[in-house]
Amino acid sequence: MTTQATLPPLSEEMARLQRRAIRRRRTNRALTYALAFLLVAWILVPLLLIASMAFSTVDAVRAYPKSLLPNPVSFETMTFFLNSQGVVDSTVRSIVVALLTVVFSTLVATPAGYAISRYLFRGRDLFKLSILAVRAFPIVVLAVPLAVMFIQFRMRDQLYSLALVHTALTLPTTILVMSSVFASVPRELEEAAHVFGSSPVRAFLQVVLPLAAPGIAASAIFTFVTSWNEVFAAVILTIRSRTLPAQVLTVLGTSPLEYKFAGAFFMLIPSLIFIFFIRKYLFNMWGQITK
Amino acid sequence: MTPPRRGKTNLTPYFLLLPSTLFLILFFAWPMFQTMVLAFRGEGVILNLREAPENGAAVTGQIRQSAQVILLGNRGIPVAAPAAVSGEEEAPSETGEEAASAAEPWYLIRGLDMANQAFEGWVPASYIREDEPETEGGPFTSGSVRRRDRDVRSEPGPISPVVAQVAQDTAVEIAGQRTVEIWYEVQGQTDSGETVTGWAPSRYLEVLSTGGEQVTGFVNRGDSGEWTLRYIERMFADREFIPALITTLLLIVLILPIQFLLAFIMALLLQSRLRGNTLFLYVFSIPLATSDLAVGIIWFSVFTQSGFLNSLLQGLGLITSPIVYLSVESKHFMILAVVLAEVWRATSIVMVIIVSGLQAVPESYLEAAELFGASLWQRVRYVILPLLKPSLQVALILRTILAFQVFGVVLAIAGRGMTVLANEAYRWYVEFRNPNMAAAYSGFILLLSMITAIFYLRSIRTQEEARE
Amino acid sequence: MAEIRIENVFKYFGKVTAVNNVSLTVHDQEFVVLLGPSGCGKTTLLRAVAGLGLPDSGRISIGNREVTYLPPRERSISMVFQNYAIFPHMTVYDNVAFGLKMRKADKAEIDRNVRRAAEMLHIEEMLERFPSQMSGGQRQRVAVARAIAIKTDVLLMDEPLSNLDALLRLEMRAELKRLLADLHTTTIYVTHDQIEALSMGDRIAVMRNGEILQCDAPTTVYDQPANKFIGGFIGNPPMNFLLGQVQRHNGSLHVQVGDYALKPAPIYDSELKRYDGQQVVVGIRAENMEAMSQPAEDALQVRVMVVEPLGSQTLLTIKIHEDIIKLATHPDFPAVPDQDIWVRFPAEKIRLMDPQSGKTLLSS
Repeated sequence: MTTQATLPPLSEEMARLQRRAIRRRRTNRALTYALAFLLVAWILVPLLLIASMAFSTVDAVRAYPKSLLPNPVSFETMTFFLNSQGVVDSTVRSIVVALLTVVFSTLVATPAGYAISRYLFRGRDLFKLSILAVRAFPIVVLAVPLAVMFIQFRMRDQLYSLALVHTALTLPTTILVMSSVFASVPRELEEAAHVFGSSPVRAFLQVVLPLAAPGIAASAIFTFVTSWNEVFAAVILTIRSRTLPAQVLTVLGTSPLEYKFAGAFFMLIPSLIFIFFIRKYLFNMWGQITK
Repeated sequence: MTPPRRGKTNLTPYFLLLPSTLFLILFFAWPMFQTMVLAFRGEGVILNLREAPENGAAVTGQIRQSAQVILLGNRGIPVAAPAAVSGEEEAPSETGEEAASAAEPWYLIRGLDMANQAFEGWVPASYIREDEPETEGGPFTSGSVRRRDRDVRSEPGPISPVVAQVAQDTAVEIAGQRTVEIWYEVQGQTDSGETVTGWAPSRYLEVLSTGGEQVTGFVNRGDSGEWTLRYIERMFADREFIPALITTLLLIVLILPIQFLLAFIMALLLQSRLRGNTLFLYVFSIPLATSDLAVGIIWFSVFTQSGFLNSLLQGLGLITSPIVYLSVESKHFMILAVVLAEVWRATSIVMVIIVSGLQAVPESYLEAAELFGASLWQRVRYVILPLLKPSLQVALILRTILAFQVFGVVLAIAGRGMTVLANEAYRWYVEFRNPNMAAAYSGFILLLSMITAIFYLRSIRTQEEARE
Repeated sequence: MAEIRIENVFKYFGKVTAVNNVSLTVHDQEFVVLLGPSGCGKTTLLRAVAGLGLPDSGRISIGNREVTYLPPRERSISMVFQNYAIFPHMTVYDNVAFGLKMRKADKAEIDRNVRRAAEMLHIEEMLERFPSQMSGGQRQRVAVARAIAIKTDVLLMDEPLSNLDALLRLEMRAELKRLLADLHTTTIYVTHDQIEALSMGDRIAVMRNGEILQCDAPTTVYDQPANKFIGGFIGNPPMNFLLGQVQRHNGSLHVQVGDYALKPAPIYDSELKRYDGQQVVVGIRAENMEAMSQPAEDALQVRVMVVEPLGSQTLLTIKIHEDIIKLATHPDFPAVPDQDIWVRFPAEKIRLMDPQSGKTLLSS
């Protein structure tokens, strides 16, 4: 049966079909790749443009016509931006707010995510549904009344109040991600820990948490970036203690090109780095939404 | 997912959900409610007139802010001295605080008036330059009048009958002191034209003239609010409202179809198992985490007069001098720039949702369709799209709602040249310091978002019902 | 009139040869089962016939038509998928009608065929339901109904029963066999379940590593496996294998297993000469040995290690020399662990295999 039987040659029609099938497969493949690279270019070219601006001399930024690549490569524009008034301070504030947001949302979302993934209880679906509902909630609607409230409670212009609002913004996503992360940790492991005598809290800390750590880290990164990017609430809720996007937005109308371009690139850096680390969890974060 | 635990009612999950529930109520339910309150409630537009000069007294009538009134009389209601209030541990309530700041000390003085007649009467403490008390820390017993022609009144209160007038620097004896909040007896007209009389604290009223028989004044602001449509009416009448609404809707109509088509193509590409798939996924999802402001600036750098587009066109020799794209005169270019920026930025999330939807469609469905004779288009039409419907629905709702809030991108690209609804909310809050109008705009955005969500959900449900 | 001819088909996935030079002819109206462990290439081969994955070389014809590179819809085939692949967003009716609609059949014809197929599978009451409202067994029926609603020359089935629970599978097996017998369609049926293969197929093609090792009637495959792998793969418990040495004793050849000399059937004599003094593998099925509680002529004394009563039979685990084997006895047979019993090996039931290649001596 393994001997190579000599076959009569393919009929003309089949040979034609075979050629056509192979050709079609090749063209399809080529077209698919071409399309994919076209889309890659669509995403990357604008990023390259702004990067090239950020690493040009100030003269090159103002020049017309512009060259697509920086010539010469220079840190002048970046330096100008970083030395502009309020940039360093607002960057520090942005980082503080983002870190606070990460802490708040992780603390609040972890128990909720755990509860959703591990318990079946009355109101579970309702809770999940309301999370989905608030996830699509406009931040624009939140910012104004919260600003008024913060004035009343003397919390205006405080970094922690902004962090609280950002927490609210990211909380629904964080809870859903947490629940899917915990759901991926087999409950048998936790039960084994219980059987061998550890308390529920201990079992959570020593068994579940270490296994869930990468997922939690991914969601923390997502939270960080969301807070870092957020501009509407930031600009409404802060007056003197502007975060970076709020600072850039406030001076947008009066700032020179080199400030804008360098600022845009600077604000993009974390997202470029962080999305790389969380790409595995993208579908956890947004895929969940339909289930 | 491991099956959740079943069994007797366990309070643990509720306990675990408590923090996030509280947080969601505090930061979603409450602000949503407050937005409505801000948008529909005018605070301080109604002044309550009371039967007696005290806060708890029965209301005799209500007068609107700015209404002219006649002040029939006044009375100084003794209150605790401000110093005593600030010394208290607990924070004063808002009205208490206001009342305390509105309270002022009055002195009962004796001396000789300009006609050299002896008098006894009340003046505000600020009229008198006190002498050092005899014992340190003791009460002031004497002083002199700071300015000329001071009215000395029978009772504490700016419109009490004048008993004497004193000249500057007249030495007087301070016989007593009282810290009072002044209440006026007011006569005015209600909305329905009815004349009412009652008492109101002086801090809500502005006295216009004290001369003549009648003391007149007007209501500076009220002490209570009312539900009103005037912010909403003002928003609809606002010059920027219609342009903002049209631009917002136009952006949605232009952006969403392109976005969904592009996202669908991206998702199918990722599903077709190309070599370097993870790299494609990474690149396609980069915009997911980008700042909208920064993306706006990127596309500004393309479309600005000295930007990349003009540079490219000039390099190719297609134009001889740079074209102005981003100006009020070329709105279509501004729209185009915003559309491109939004498509660039927000397609990723649609793609991710579609990809996870596609991942839930087993390949065997497509193979079965192919086997039973469906062409590529028929497979998309009869199998992929119907199965993707929940994902598409979610993506549509999410994208439409987010599109109502587009803000940073527009501001970065068009500046003042173009406005959208969220920009107006921002402008009213930050520039005009009018939270009510800002709330009216954000409430309007909320309304549009809800209508959108209900519309999408309903249209899907009716299809399902029709099928059953 | 549709004979399926598969000739020298190769299919590679990267460096893995999934289908390695397979040739197989399925006669008109024949029911051939492709049987093998997972990853043996049986599904790949089926998909090549279906047109869902084109072979890298070789030819496939259906009837007198070559179809190697034709798209599925031009092949006159129909298929039942492993996980049914019935569309969750369509009613049962629309699912069953799918193939007809794609063929642009007119409404009356669609309706007639859908009702006929539904009737054959007893789902005519469920036509308006959605798959989510049905049990696994019912969905399975829908998948089959969809496949037979279109009239095709060939029906392909990819492990159609594997997702059902044991009891349902037993029921569906018989029903499916009956149905397919009525349909007279040429059928290729892929499964990894040897019971299904034995009970349903006209012929079984056993596959491993992308090759067809044997293609014969079920009884032949069971009784005369072409090699050690097939003997071990088919049957429950699998065939026992003992390592023995061919020795000449009193002028005739025996297979010496430990202290015991087995005498195979005379037809092996000529083959055994070639193995004189060498090792061979003795294969014997559990139910083909004869167990006795008393010593008897030609019977080997063995020690019982484990006794497993299975109801219809009792399975004894015994040790012969170095090898541990299973022996099926009547449930009444008195046996307890650590007891000695006597076993006879009927000569005509002994199969001999080459220890290196595993091939059965005398086969083909």
